[in-house]
Amino acid sequence: MMAGNNGNLLSVKDLRTYFETEDGTVKAVDGISFELRSGETLGIVGESGSGKSVANLSLMRLIPNPPGKIVSGSIMFDGRDVLKLSPREVRDIRGKRIAMIFQDPMTSLNPFMRVSKQLMEVTQLHLGHTRKQAREHAIKMLEHVGIPDARERVDSYPHEFSGGMRQRVMIAMALSCEPELLIADEPTTALDVTIQAQILELIKRLKAETGASVILITHDLGVVAGMTDHIIVMYAGKVFEQAVTTELFERPGNPYTRGLLRSVPDPTDEQGKLYQIPGLPPDLAHLPPGCPFAPRCERAEDICRQKFPPYVQLTSEHYSLCHFANEVFAESTETE
Amino acid sequence: MIETDSRPLISVRDLKVHFSLPSGSLFRRSRQVVQAVDGVSLDVFPGETLGLVGESGCGKTTLGRAVLRLIEPTAGQILFRGNDLAQLSNSAMRDERRHLQIIFQDPYASLNPRMTVSQIIGEPLETFRLARGRAKQERVQQLMEMVGLSARFLKRYPHEFSGGQRQRIGIARALAVDPAFIVADEPISALDVSIQAQIMNLLDSLRRQKQLTYLFISHDLRAIRHVSDRVAVMYLGRIVELADGKTVYNNPLMPYTKALISAVPVPDPKIEAKRLRIVLEGDVPSPINPPRGCRFHTRCPYAVEVCREIEPQLVQIKPNHLAACLRISPEEPDIDRVAPGCAPGLMTQSASSMA
Repeated sequence: MMAGNNGNLLSVKDLRTYFETEDGTVKAVDGISFELRSGETLGIVGESGSGKSVANLSLMRLIPNPPGKIVSGSIMFDGRDVLKLSPREVRDIRGKRIAMIFQDPMTSLNPFMRVSKQLMEVTQLHLGHTRKQAREHAIKMLEHVGIPDARERVDSYPHEFSGGMRQRVMIAMALSCEPELLIADEPTTALDVTIQAQILELIKRLKAETGASVILITHDLGVVAGMTDHIIVMYAGKVFEQAVTTELFERPGNPYTRGLLRSVPDPTDEQGKLYQIPGLPPDLAHLPPGCPFAPRCERAEDICRQKFPPYVQLTSEHYSLCHFANEVFAESTETE
Repeated sequence: MIETDSRPLISVRDLKVHFSLPSGSLFRRSRQVVQAVDGVSLDVFPGETLGLVGESGCGKTTLGRAVLRLIEPTAGQILFRGNDLAQLSNSAMRDERRHLQIIFQDPYASLNPRMTVSQIIGEPLETFRLARGRAKQERVQQLMEMVGLSARFLKRYPHEFSGGQRQRIGIARALAVDPAFIVADEPISALDVSIQAQIMNLLDSLRRQKQLTYLFISHDLRAIRHVSDRVAVMYLGRIVELADGKTVYNNPLMPYTKALISAVPVPDPKIEAKRLRIVLEGDVPSPINPPRGCRFHTRCPYAVEVCREIEPQLVQIKPNHLAACLRISPEEPDIDRVAPGCAPGLMTQSASSMA
């Protein structure tokens, strides 16, 4: 279970995933690095097009090629570079040691196959279960994720479950082989708030029980606030900021993070004009020179439009991609 | 309902929208009815934003469309400037639509991909014969600037715009006819966080400039709280709580609202760590055969025997704060302090039904 290198289960270095399009090369993920310790939850936050989902698919080597290609970097998982493994070795890891759940359970469950069969396949393949063992295990997993009458419902088809229940089925499938790492890509975005609360509680409980590490990918700052130990904020394929969760919320060191935090309405606050980040997310095929956020940044200066910003270390685990990272960090500290 | 000085712009009374489903087998016909909206009464006052919040399947979108008669109501009244919209002929209704507009959720599906922006925004001007030719072009440009789009984009097609920009086009189209009342049906749900803030601010500033009245429908409680003056909470076709936004958020009375509010993730790790979350069991029941009695009783941690039998009405519990729950009353508004098994609301309910 435990990883060898400094307690890091996963260590991503300078990962670059590019897509060739008619419009030119889209650098969906462009040189990101992060680490995940065993038993921790990492949140990856970003808006659409920030590269958060491509980063996550790259970890599992699920990038369709062509048009996509991981052009450089390393993904050390438990001491081995996933990018150097043979397809067969990757398949052994995928689903067994690293499992994924997606936003829309309907796209990852086969609509023509009974849930029982889909759940059994996983353990028959990875754990060498017999049919009987696999079936019992499937029922146990469904009970575990809180599906009522699991024994009766195990032979249902996916459409016979509600959205929240389908998400539970998918979580049951993902956790069937007790993975060391669970990657959850917008797991609650398609769900209602009360169902979202159920699923987040479930992920928390299962994580505590199995000791798995979790990567939670979301656009919702509220979700990461309550669920994660560390956060990385992505914009235009780059990591703009990473920090311990509490510090990121209290003292953001990047103007983009700060804007994002301020543009979410705080329900406990008085109403008023909501802070808004002006402009639109950038076109990844035609990034401006300099900082990709500069055209929308309230404190951009000439240097931001000309030179790509440095990745500045602010505290031991807090980094920000900004020419003025120290200043922004200091401002956040003052206003606190 | 809620006492204010002004008269409501729109009054909905006991509105019902039922859909019958073809069901049963060829040999055994049975009739199933989806009670999407089942007895809703609401007032929307001039210049206010009334937020309508609820989970998927609660009937909020159906209610919003039925108010504009984009879906025909099964029963009930929609009073607008002295007319009952539900009784108008189709042609009379079409004339009224000039004053009643809608903004849709999906900025990709609600704009005709074969029309240019100028045609899309100009179409309602032609339909209602408000402007032609040069005057129309000028008006379209003016509308585009009003919603923050450059007039350079006049001849472009919807696919050339981002989600947020398309939503701006949809807003410009709704505003073209100078409406009094706009139903905004999940206008920000398909957008990114940073763009959501832009659209919320735009809608709010337009409301102030043009004295608009909104029915703002969303499942997003944070957004609803931010944009709304008053908030109505909907569950399985009924309004279960109604008060000003701050009150609904800080002091919800009805157990469903309490659970809903507690489920909203707050973007603050310190608050999140301390929060007690009411996690509801199970899913929303089907609106085809909604539970008898209180529709929420199947998931309600406070439900007692009478909740299974008697359907609570929306009554005033505190000043300007209405809720539909048998376990609370004006004398005992705090459900956590009501003696176990007691349903003080029964008295209020019978008193209000006599009145």
